[in-house]
Amino acid sequence: MIVTEKLTKIYGTFKAIDDLNLTVKEGAIFGFLGHNGAGKTTTLSMLTTLLLPTSGKVSIAGLDIVKDNLKVRGLLGYLPESVMLYGDLTAAENLRFFGKLSEVEKVDVRIDEVLGLLGLIGWKDKKVKTFSKGMRQRIGIAQALLHKPKILFLDEPTSGLDPQGTKEMRDLLLKLNTEWGTTIFMNTHLLSEVTKVCTDIGIISHGRLLLADSISNIERRFPEAKSLEEIYFNIEGGQF
Amino acid sequence: MKQVFIIATKEFKAAFKDKVFLVITALFLLLSIISVYIGSSTRNAEMKAYQDIVEILESQGATNFPLSPEIFPLAILQNIIKYVSIIGAVLAVFLGFDAFSGERENGTLKLLLVRPLYRDQLVTGKLLGAGLVIGVLLAITLIFNTLLFSLVSGILPNLNELSRLMVFIIMAFIYMMIFYIATLFVSIKTGDRAFGFLTMMVVWILVSFVIPQLADSQRSFAYALNATNQTVTQIPSDTVISKGIEIFSPAVQFQNVGKDLLQGVSETATMNVFEILSRQALSLLYILVPGVILLFASYRAVQKEDVL
Repeated sequence: MIVTEKLTKIYGTFKAIDDLNLTVKEGAIFGFLGHNGAGKTTTLSMLTTLLLPTSGKVSIAGLDIVKDNLKVRGLLGYLPESVMLYGDLTAAENLRFFGKLSEVEKVDVRIDEVLGLLGLIGWKDKKVKTFSKGMRQRIGIAQALLHKPKILFLDEPTSGLDPQGTKEMRDLLLKLNTEWGTTIFMNTHLLSEVTKVCTDIGIISHGRLLLADSISNIERRFPEAKSLEEIYFNIEGGQF
Repeated sequence: MKQVFIIATKEFKAAFKDKVFLVITALFLLLSIISVYIGSSTRNAEMKAYQDIVEILESQGATNFPLSPEIFPLAILQNIIKYVSIIGAVLAVFLGFDAFSGERENGTLKLLLVRPLYRDQLVTGKLLGAGLVIGVLLAITLIFNTLLFSLVSGILPNLNELSRLMVFIIMAFIYMMIFYIATLFVSIKTGDRAFGFLTMMVVWILVSFVIPQLADSQRSFAYALNATNQTVTQIPSDTVISKGIEIFSPAVQFQNVGKDLLQGVSETATMNVFEILSRQALSLLYILVPGVILLFASYRAVQKEDVL
């Protein structure tokens, strides 16, 4: 579903992403792990066509993200780390606007469908500025799902959520993956979330990909490690 | 093109949901209505005074009467020029100061840019939305004021006057759009909406007040002695320096064109619209050039990665 080849991003003299080679399979929930400033968001921004790579190639569902950027955008849904949406508009008005921009047919029917899935149908006509952080995240997910994307990109989706909100988000991602078959690529630094949700992980540090594999393979490769946390810290520390 | 209209429609609706924008709009309309009312009343008073004098002279058996005061109907609407150049500019700034920086702060800019939409379409959509808001506002002003003007003064504008009025409204639209474009550019370049707003307020003060006053200070003065009243009157006249300074103020240029169009200058009061526009070609150029430059700069700036 996602293939990057020698993906590089340079800002001035700073190499934010260095020769990243990564493959994410269709139907996977891919957790992209790394400390703050490791290059997770820069990678995500390139995958979502927001930033142009300095060099290297990225294809999503066989489409080049630079040459076919508009087609790629039709395939992806995106939730940034903190999204407020338009506070003075209602949930439905926000979704209608983004739905129309994504050329969703029968947008109002689709809004009801997505809000129903997210348990927000009762909040449809309420202004978004009155919503809690967790609810705003869910409306954020709703805007990303309107056009039935094949792949969903999430940047720290549980950041700032309380334990209940975190659990709801986790359940939602699993539901989207199993029921709708959506491939999910999520940036996170929460290892606990990764083990509960993800099928595959990638670890990035200082712009370089240190490891990318399925969780089951990783556990087989490092049988002496007691937990994913231990594996992560040892890989980051260069001990594996 | 569909994407552009979707953005424009959203911008249009959002503007009329904004309470502060509505307050400034109401103030703008109210002031323009008051100015027409005052202008019409003053004109009626002048006419009444003239008729009273004629009646007195008639009762005294006079056969020669003074000429009727030269009153140009559109001059009644003169104050609108100032209101557009000052409050209209603020309105445009208010409309655009968070056009991009607000989207960035809300996190909605990234949501827009991952849609099947080119970045220049986003700018065009914003411009079209603002254009619709300003257009509607000016259309309401035109209709209200023409009706009020006809009701209070009892004069129906003729074709030449109507065409002058229409061209004035188009000029007002262009002038306000230039302020909007400048604000849009600042909003694209700055990450902070408050900073963007303050920057544009400084620009507004400069072009509306500081530059005109600076130009005034460079005028030469002729002095006319009134022997009967024993008074001296100052008559300012333009110099190369004052004219040169005024080039940098679209507000002054707009007022120059506006005065000619709304019969504020007696020597151009009977000209047709085309004659006025060719006479004011340089002023029009000074208004348009910064707008066009900023428009291109906005389209260029939005393509850069740091816009995120």
